[in-house]
Amino acid sequence: MQRKSIQIVGVVWTLVYASFIVWIYATEPRSFKDVATNTQVATGIYEINQEKFNNGLTLFRRDQFRAAREEWAAADSAQRDPRTQFYIAYAYYREGWGRVYYDRTLFTQGLAAVNRAINLDPNRQLVVDDPNLQIRTPAELKAELEQGLETSWRDLNPSRLFRQRK
Amino acid sequence: MKDYAERNRALLHFVAVPTILLTTALLGGLRIDAQNRQFVFTAPPLVTLVLATLLTFLFVRAGAIDLRHWLSVELPAVTNLSHLLTLLALFFATAQAFNSVLPETGLLHWMFAFFFLWTLWTNQFSSFDPRRLLRSIIVLFGTAFVLKHLFMSALYAPDKGWLRTIAATFLQGISVDIPAFAPATGYVSFFALVLYVVGLLLIAPVPIRSGPSPINKLAVNDDALSHPGE
Repeated sequence: MQRKSIQIVGVVWTLVYASFIVWIYATEPRSFKDVATNTQVATGIYEINQEKFNNGLTLFRRDQFRAAREEWAAADSAQRDPRTQFYIAYAYYREGWGRVYYDRTLFTQGLAAVNRAINLDPNRQLVVDDPNLQIRTPAELKAELEQGLETSWRDLNPSRLFRQRK
Repeated sequence: MKDYAERNRALLHFVAVPTILLTTALLGGLRIDAQNRQFVFTAPPLVTLVLATLLTFLFVRAGAIDLRHWLSVELPAVTNLSHLLTLLALFFATAQAFNSVLPETGLLHWMFAFFFLWTLWTNQFSSFDPRRLLRSIIVLFGTAFVLKHLFMSALYAPDKGWLRTIAATFLQGISVDIPAFAPATGYVSFFALVLYVVGLLLIAPVPIRSGPSPINKLAVNDDALSHPGE
């Protein structure tokens, strides 16, 4: 009887350990900290660092976009929070926006971030209620970034010099 | 006393051996980046699965694993399942042990893979017993470990030591485009290989059965011989 119990424990333990190894190779953590974060994500207890998020927001409102993005990246190290990813994309948009031309590199990075936000919010329920922002949803922000990356004859229109950053 | 022995044997066979083999599978693909000291997990390339298959055939041919006793219709389902998982763990541990000592990319990757394939293929037609096979495996992995983690990694060493000079001379004119890893990678690989060999040492050709072991049977016979009148 005892031997059978040990066999069952062995089978369960082997399956759990093997699943853990497959999961490690699938998620490819870069450090022990990443392992802990990925575990939190897998078990559904992952939360962003609110203090760092607020620091990022303060920097964003002071137009210090790079510093804001760094704070938000640290706040959401697993890139699992749609709201934080939306703000990161917005920071790319505002930094890349120019009266004469848009910075394509920053807009491309912004598009990647807003796509992450959309993927994390498949029901499209995210509406960011921030009075400092004129774009409130990831879909609107995505459209704005995509328009900025397109090249057309409208880019030569002189009235574009009078447009406003959102 | 007998209960303890039987329980410990069962723990070793059903828990410790799969754990050791799976730990080899975990560590075999782990590298440490030389630049930022981050983990890099390398999944086993297809060629390591082929090599693991060849080595598994060798285990069976040499009698290191007697499949008829490991998987049988006469055994309970749980025992068969447990044995199947241990054999799978052995297969993936073997693949990852090869992964651990194979250069990741480039010409040297294919040269190492070719020599492994050559050795294992010719061994298929040699006569082996389990002990000789184990010695052969230790030499095979030991040589590959020294070549990869001591000889070739010396090329990336910051100080210009004698090993680096020798390695640079031997590999002159050969494009060595393998990624540079931190020295800790060598330690991880060494630990993985030691665990693999320990796992092989612990695997019995014929798995334990419930009831007294052959050693215990001999002990009973000794008792009977010392007191023939009883």
